Amino acid sequence: MAIIERSITTTEAFSVATPSTSLGALKRPVSSTGWKSWLFTVDHKKLGIMYSAAALFFFIVGGLEAVLIRLQLAAPNGKVLNADLYNQMFTMHATTMVFLFVMPMAAGLANYFIPLQIGARDVAFPRMNAFSFWAFLFGGIFLNLAWFLGGAADGGWFMYAPNSGPIFSPSHGIDFWALGLQITGIASLVGAVNLITTVLNMRAPGMSLMRMPIFTWMQLVVQFLLLFAVPVITVALFLLSFQRNFGATFFDVAAGADPLLWQHLFWIFGHPEVYILILPSFGIISEVLPVFSRKPLFGYPFVVFSGAAIGFVGWGVWAHHMFASGLGPVSVAVFSISTMAIAVPTGVKIVNWTMTIWGGKLQFTVAMKFAVGLIVLFTIGGLSGVTHSIAPSDTQQTDTYYIVAHFHYVLFGGAIFGLFSGFYYWWPKVFGKLLNEKLGTWNFWLMLIGMNMTFGPMHILGLQGQPRRMYQWTEARAGEGFFNLGFWNTFASIGSLVLTIGVLLFLINIVITARNGKVAPLDPWDARSLEWMTTNPPKEHNFDSIPTVSHLDEFFHRKYEEDANGQMVKVKSAEQVMKELEDNADAHIHMPSPSYWPIVIAAGLPVIAFGVIYSIPIAIFGGVIVLFGSYGWAIEPSTAPDDDFDPPVTTKDVVHVG
Amino acid sequence: MRRRVVGAVSGIAGAMFLAGCATNAPQDTWQPKGPNAQIIDDLQKPVFAVAGIIGVIVTVAVLVAVFKFRDKGQPIPHQSHGNPALEITLTIIPALILTVVGVFTFRTVFDLAKTSDTEMIINVTGQQWWWEYDYPVQSEYGITQPIITSGQLVIPAGTKVLLRQTSRDVIHSYWIPALNGKRDAVPGRVHLNRIEADKPGIYAGQCTEFCGLSHANMRMEAVALSKADFAKWVANQLKPYTPPAENTLAKEGETVFMNQCVRCHQVNGMKRADGTPVIAAPDENIVSGAAPNLSHLMSRNTFAGATFDLLNKSCREDVWTADSESFGAKYLSGVSEDCLNQKDLRGWLRNAPAMKPMYANPALLTSTGGKYRGMPNLGLTEADIEKLVAYLLTLK
Repeated sequence: MAIIERSITTTEAFSVATPSTSLGALKRPVSSTGWKSWLFTVDHKKLGIMYSAAALFFFIVGGLEAVLIRLQLAAPNGKVLNADLYNQMFTMHATTMVFLFVMPMAAGLANYFIPLQIGARDVAFPRMNAFSFWAFLFGGIFLNLAWFLGGAADGGWFMYAPNSGPIFSPSHGIDFWALGLQITGIASLVGAVNLITTVLNMRAPGMSLMRMPIFTWMQLVVQFLLLFAVPVITVALFLLSFQRNFGATFFDVAAGADPLLWQHLFWIFGHPEVYILILPSFGIISEVLPVFSRKPLFGYPFVVFSGAAIGFVGWGVWAHHMFASGLGPVSVAVFSISTMAIAVPTGVKIVNWTMTIWGGKLQFTVAMKFAVGLIVLFTIGGLSGVTHSIAPSDTQQTDTYYIVAHFHYVLFGGAIFGLFSGFYYWWPKVFGKLLNEKLGTWNFWLMLIGMNMTFGPMHILGLQGQPRRMYQWTEARAGEGFFNLGFWNTFASIGSLVLTIGVLLFLINIVITARNGKVAPLDPWDARSLEWMTTNPPKEHNFDSIPTVSHLDEFFHRKYEEDANGQMVKVKSAEQVMKELEDNADAHIHMPSPSYWPIVIAAGLPVIAFGVIYSIPIAIFGGVIVLFGSYGWAIEPSTAPDDDFDPPVTTKDVVHVG
Repeated sequence: MRRRVVGAVSGIAGAMFLAGCATNAPQDTWQPKGPNAQIIDDLQKPVFAVAGIIGVIVTVAVLVAVFKFRDKGQPIPHQSHGNPALEITLTIIPALILTVVGVFTFRTVFDLAKTSDTEMIINVTGQQWWWEYDYPVQSEYGITQPIITSGQLVIPAGTKVLLRQTSRDVIHSYWIPALNGKRDAVPGRVHLNRIEADKPGIYAGQCTEFCGLSHANMRMEAVALSKADFAKWVANQLKPYTPPAENTLAKEGETVFMNQCVRCHQVNGMKRADGTPVIAAPDENIVSGAAPNLSHLMSRNTFAGATFDLLNKSCREDVWTADSESFGAKYLSGVSEDCLNQKDLRGWLRNAPAMKPMYANPALLTSTGGKYRGMPNLGLTEADIEKLVAYLLTLK
């Protein structure tokens, strides 16, 4: 596992040198197959798959919660859920979708594709990468354990104080919520440091920042947002946990606290969080649209800088979530204007995507359909966003279904459509098989129709006065006429079932593809970026030799050249490009060794959290696990004997990662 | 040609949107009935129009591209990397549109924050899950003693009323869409919210900051009366307490009330047989430290945080649908025995938490030191309920 050897002269398959025993007192795992190879892996690709698989599981959980919510609201005075369960359901639906689906799914894709896109063999800190994944998974499971231990969190994902205090929410739900998010926050922070380091230091020779694939660019912005936003929510969650578990009074009005403190902390994190959710998908479709338009991304530097601009301005708009909180007219006016300002760079992106497909040679694969769908759906969500950047109208709209409509167009029509585009685009790269396009087309149309049926009517519901977060609605406030609020509530609930069938088709597509999917050719989409310059799925070491980059869209420019008439013509097949890389393969490629300790340390975290809620000795026990794990981490030897390391004569011959 | 298509499509989309709406939705945000809501509406209507047009343009552009540039075997297009001039133009245009919108927004924010010309003050206090309305002494309206009420906010029409909002427990939000946008009621802070109704009538609202279990059941109704009718309402609220006649069912009900309800609910002027005043002690029993003051209960149309009607269905319809001239008289007639919504009121007295979810279960009170949130199940007998209803009907 540790070393991949190949003599420069032979054309045989690689031999992977895996020592039968590892060295040292605290041995490293050596298995390269079976469950152990997943549990102790530090391979960014395996971790990326596990991240995404776990996120997909949580997507199903969050989706079921959403369906229960819509069933409850299908008719007046719904009886499917009681008030208590309903409050838990909408709290956990949002928490799950934000923290346990979109964020880790984007993290999974970042993990898998950033090293491939920048021509690296792994991330900068492979063991930390493994730790990030396990911390996310254990945090997510811990969060959901509350369902079985007296009820889940019931204060809404925004968890406003003082309603989140022990008096108003006596179950342990919010304790699990705060500590669970604390753990997933550690995962995000570690991951952000890791990916920033990777992108800044490990790009292939010749890949300047302005030749970097746009997905990696958007992910880089996201990692910086995480790096600065997660500490804010960490502080807020600590205050909350101390208030609930140790009798602190940070949000206790009687003790002189101001509950608006929580709102500021939450939204200073929460608004950058919105861009953390959406920018990866912006990156995905900025890859997909050029590939299936046979054109470069229109205005690449504008897309890069508007992404970075969103990353900056995104810090100055948080109080638009608080226009009704009583901030006073000066703050309200300022945040209203800054919120309008952020619409400009966002609009730039929509212009660029439209101009990318304009004049192209468009192929409507499922990936392309989702990407084009995103442009329109996100535009609708963006425009409704502009209507509530107008602070006075926001005081009519906030906390109504109009907002629910807005952010589902942005996050479902935006973030999730982008992720689905990525699934169909990258599936052959990851698993070597093409997802079924026919089933995928059904998947797309049902999701598109279902999503518009579910969230479209919510614009009307909200503007006609239906508030959010109500476990029941009453006919007394539903108005008259055939198209009254009752009609639209029922309609939206039916839409959610259509949407569910659409998502179900995706899951069926996965199963069908795994059983007897079409084996993907080397370059199924005639793609443009580096991740396609390797086998499907990629070799463990990604690239036989690290390519030298001289273009944005390097792979495309290796395959195509302009002829005398200025026409782009194919001069090399993907196979030929691959062959060139193989012929120049590096002789010794050192890959990082697997490790027991990331999963051990990560397993200690929920034990500590459990102890904080129930009994301090358990927390101390968890602390001991983390300490023991850190010790093992620090002193574990490399699997490979020391003398196996060739001195790095040139970076071309020996590339050592981790 | 293209402009005409865009115009037609946006027209059709707009018409479909409006045709798809409910009529007379009580909380419709696009039906302002007072100057504050009107100012907001004037600002937002053009923004909605511009947003709609831009939405249609983008959608049409994408659809045109989708059909026009479909792969029909054309050669691979020129690998152009963009057009900075076009890009900058298309950045500046939305920036300019937003600048114009921003200027108007700025002005409106400050217009709406204006309180210097206020004509009347009402203190509004939220708690789980009802609002208390407290009218300080304002003799120009005949309010010579403070009035404390709940269930319906009664205001004079055509008067600039300043609500001074706060909360006794968690954050709530006061929202009567026809009169103004929402404003949070935050414990420890006083937030100002100006409302004014053009005409007499009932305007519906709903608490819009998630406030726990019965958030959905925390409703509001603002009742605007003509100035003359408002004066009558004030006079009635200030009327002293008249105990029920001896040897009536209502008198027995008063005794039940003194034994049970008075632990939390005040009725102003009530006295025991020995002449000592009966004072409620909600602080001892309830987390928020307050329960609705039930003096003149039957002058209101709702109870339990405006969740339930005190009027039965037909009497309620009669008041809600009245035109603005006859509305005042109908409202001021209050709740007669014939009009009383017996079913809900009796159900409430029988087992309140079963009708409106509250942590009123004694087994769940450890975190609050034994205090209730909301009204518990009092375990009243049917005979007691009979007496109480008779008594409550006397609180005109």
